Amino acid sequence: MSGTDPAPAAGARRTGSGFGRLLVTVYGILAFAAIGRSSYELATKFSEAPVAYSLSTLSAVVYVLATVALAKGGPRWRVVAWVTVGFEAVGVLAVGAASAVSPDVFGETTVWSGFGQGYGYVPLVLPFVGLWWLWRTRPRGTSGDDGAAAAPATPEPTEPAAPDPEVR
Amino acid sequence: MVLPLLIVVLLACAALAGWALWFVVQDRAVILKQLIGAAVVEALVVVQAVVAGVLMVTRDHPVDGPLFWGYVATALVVLPVAAIWAFAERTKWSSVVLAVAALTVGFLDWRLWQIWGAA
Repeated sequence: MSGTDPAPAAGARRTGSGFGRLLVTVYGILAFAAIGRSSYELATKFSEAPVAYSLSTLSAVVYVLATVALAKGGPRWRVVAWVTVGFEAVGVLAVGAASAVSPDVFGETTVWSGFGQGYGYVPLVLPFVGLWWLWRTRPRGTSGDDGAAAAPATPEPTEPAAPDPEVR
Repeated sequence: MVLPLLIVVLLACAALAGWALWFVVQDRAVILKQLIGAAVVEALVVVQAVVAGVLMVTRDHPVDGPLFWGYVATALVVLPVAAIWAFAERTKWSSVVLAVAALTVGFLDWRLWQIWGAA
């Protein structure tokens, strides 16, 4: 599965290509689901459980931001992606734990209740895959930001998403 | 909603997903014909939504409107966006994306059926 296509090397460090294509897709779907859910809740029954529904709205916004950030993947967007994806990881763990301890802390369920149970645990798995992917595609040489996006014409050839060999 | 149409949509989604997964196995990217296939699925979902709307009005079918139409909107948005997104990628991940999108639409359609019956 190496020589997939003509231009992989250039896209190899981009968060939205290769495996990242799939990641962004799943994020996008979750974002749509969260938007749908929260607009429905806000429109029809916000007063019933303001905390839960505010949380739903917050998670929707974060999912949208994460989707855009991962799709764009420039130096700035990469920072946004780290923050939003990290926020989701914390959010799903915190809300999941809270809902496990006391099922009705928020008055109603949210996307993150029961560790994302209502969404096939996708909200639980996704942020960690996202963090892994951000780490995996991080710009090398420089630390963290910058990386100047144009630079990465590195020798290391293809395999944007080869399963095992940890790229250093 | 009517059962035959549901089955047609589900089968169409499954077919599109199967086609895309076959391409994944072959390490190929999405091709134009598959986008046309996606357009067909999309058209079927539109037809289904229209039929549901007509039934809602004429037979006064009780349904949680906002919930139902929210799902319809999501189901209609997913495939075109995902198709464009998939087509821009020229590796097998392109096909993975299309497969995921097709399965998602199928799932949403199933949820629509449940919501339709639940009210």
